[in-house]
Amino acid sequence: MSQAVIPVLLPQGFGSEVSSAERQAAAEQRDAWNAVDQSVETQSFWVGTGKRFLRNKTGVVAAAIVLLLAAASVLAPVLTPYDPLLGEPTDRLQNLGSSGHLLGTDEQGRDMLARVLYGGRLSLAAGFIPTVGAAIIGTVIGVTSGMLRGVVGTVLMRFMDMLYAFPAILLAIAVGSSLGPGLSNTIIAVTIVFIPPVARVAEQATRRVVVQEFIEAAHLSGASRWRIARTQILPNVLNDIIVYASGLVGVAMIIAASLSFLGLGSPPPAPEWGYMLNSLRGSLNTTPLVTIVPGFFIFLTSVAFNMASDALREAMDSRL
Amino acid sequence: MSDTTTAPDLVAPSDQPSGKTGPTLPERPLMELLDVSKEFQVRSDGKPAKLSAVNRVSLRVMEGQTLGIVGESGCGKSTLARVIVGLHPATSGEMLFDNQQIPTRGRRPREVVEQMQMVFQDPSSALNPRATIGESIAFPLQVQKKSKKEIAARVKQVIADVGLPANYADNYPHQLSGGQRQRVNIARALALQPKLVVLDEAVSALDKSIQAQVLNLLTDLQQEYGLTYVFISHDLNVVEYISDEVAVMYLGQVMERASADQLYEKPLHPYTQLLLSSIPSLDPAESTRDTPLEQNEGEIPSPINPPSGCRFRTRCPHAMAICAREVPRLADQGDDHVVACHLYPGSSSEDAEAA
Repeated sequence: MSQAVIPVLLPQGFGSEVSSAERQAAAEQRDAWNAVDQSVETQSFWVGTGKRFLRNKTGVVAAAIVLLLAAASVLAPVLTPYDPLLGEPTDRLQNLGSSGHLLGTDEQGRDMLARVLYGGRLSLAAGFIPTVGAAIIGTVIGVTSGMLRGVVGTVLMRFMDMLYAFPAILLAIAVGSSLGPGLSNTIIAVTIVFIPPVARVAEQATRRVVVQEFIEAAHLSGASRWRIARTQILPNVLNDIIVYASGLVGVAMIIAASLSFLGLGSPPPAPEWGYMLNSLRGSLNTTPLVTIVPGFFIFLTSVAFNMASDALREAMDSRL
Repeated sequence: MSDTTTAPDLVAPSDQPSGKTGPTLPERPLMELLDVSKEFQVRSDGKPAKLSAVNRVSLRVMEGQTLGIVGESGCGKSTLARVIVGLHPATSGEMLFDNQQIPTRGRRPREVVEQMQMVFQDPSSALNPRATIGESIAFPLQVQKKSKKEIAARVKQVIADVGLPANYADNYPHQLSGGQRQRVNIARALALQPKLVVLDEAVSALDKSIQAQVLNLLTDLQQEYGLTYVFISHDLNVVEYISDEVAVMYLGQVMERASADQLYEKPLHPYTQLLLSSIPSLDPAESTRDTPLEQNEGEIPSPINPPSGCRFRTRCPHAMAICAREVPRLADQGDDHVVACHLYPGSSSEDAEAA
């Protein structure tokens, strides 16, 4: 190997003409500049996520549909003069767009629009409440077993796997039928169905976070496990859980509707979308369009929820 | 050793900055390890086995000084660091901190927790991505129940101490560069005003110019606050630069310990010689390309089933019959230069009896 030539980067005597006072002044100037770095702007995670979400057109439209449906069902008494439970037997099975009945009437002459709007309250509740409930309980179980590992973690997660082994709808039917019909029992059944998958997502995320060095640093400062779970782990697994759970709302509505369809949901004559679908089944040949109205709303809501949750995931992901 | 001296240490920490100023240092060990071992229960070929990560290590760190620990990857350096700060319970052995025995397992008393902090290796995973820099630094203070005012003042102080702009307190880790993040890690470790800071490969993930900046920062902080460092690294140059004393570890054991000057000038243990000869030189005329590992079967043996006697014998160019029979003891070769090798007097039991 020949002698390497080390390039001289600065000319001989570079800076020798600068006096020490000037050097001092320059150093102070640099320190003043460096005391505040303007190039890094502070933006909270949620503000950034919100901005990115708003850039996603599909997500915004889907979220708007969800909000619109929710608002419409809350404001149902204002939007329609009809009673969802009382029908006009003479106006049975009117088609879409018939006079006074925008969405027609059902087999007992009840206004479909009124029933869909009032029913939205039940259906949205059956979609939301179990999801939120399962997200909270599943997170507690998942984070606990992810942090503890060992016997406690294994027992918890194997029990979750056991529940997970049943197809969702079968488990819901089993739980629902043993509890009896009714909206609150439907909600309990769907919650139980959703706890295992949420717990699994939470456990995976916890395992990923728990091995990182900032958790060790937290242990080192003398923090208790509970405090570490709350302040260090939870904020880092919440993303995964929010994204996963928001996708479950649509599924929850479908399961709740299925239970109602099977007679395990809200008892008649409550206008639940799944039950409406069931009771209109017999009129499929007479007024097919009216019959599919509740189905259309189930479809619309669950698709909108899924698209909004996809958009949310993207908005949260593109952070780093 | 059951004396639990609970006499509070009323002596204020010495004011004079005790850097590498000369031989007249106050010789007071801040932290002592006596025969500390750490074993992990693992599975090897489906059978439960013991992995001996740290084996009967005895070390002491003088107050205000830096103890460097070097060794190849997998020699137990990081495990030792975690045993020292209490993240891993020790399997056996004793530890003294500030002349008081501290529990080697279980929860440590709060005073001890505050006195010992650690700077981690990976600047990206050592900070909570969901917390701002200020929140991360404030966390240990909150855990130790300091007042809000005190926390705010301390956070501001340490951010300035590590040379970061004050407005970074509101930023998130992903907005900072690797070197800046490592400064934040140092700031967090300093927040509780510890006496001992364990630096586990604290500069290894940084590029050379940033390494130099962070090392200078560390020495400045040491002088300013009289900190004691345990500096763990595989980088021999960096360890030489920052350490007063250096311990060489191989497969969980200390092979040699001496002052940094001594060790780099006159390495005694064959393993130390091997390590030092493998430092790449910038001078092409002194190329070390072929010398160090040629006769040595490169791989480090498994700590699950370490060689009998001297653990280095399977790679040692001077291996003798006694090396397989007997574990060499650490023996002083003068000037507090301690080495565990049968090439030197005092290492075997026969020597001990003769003396």
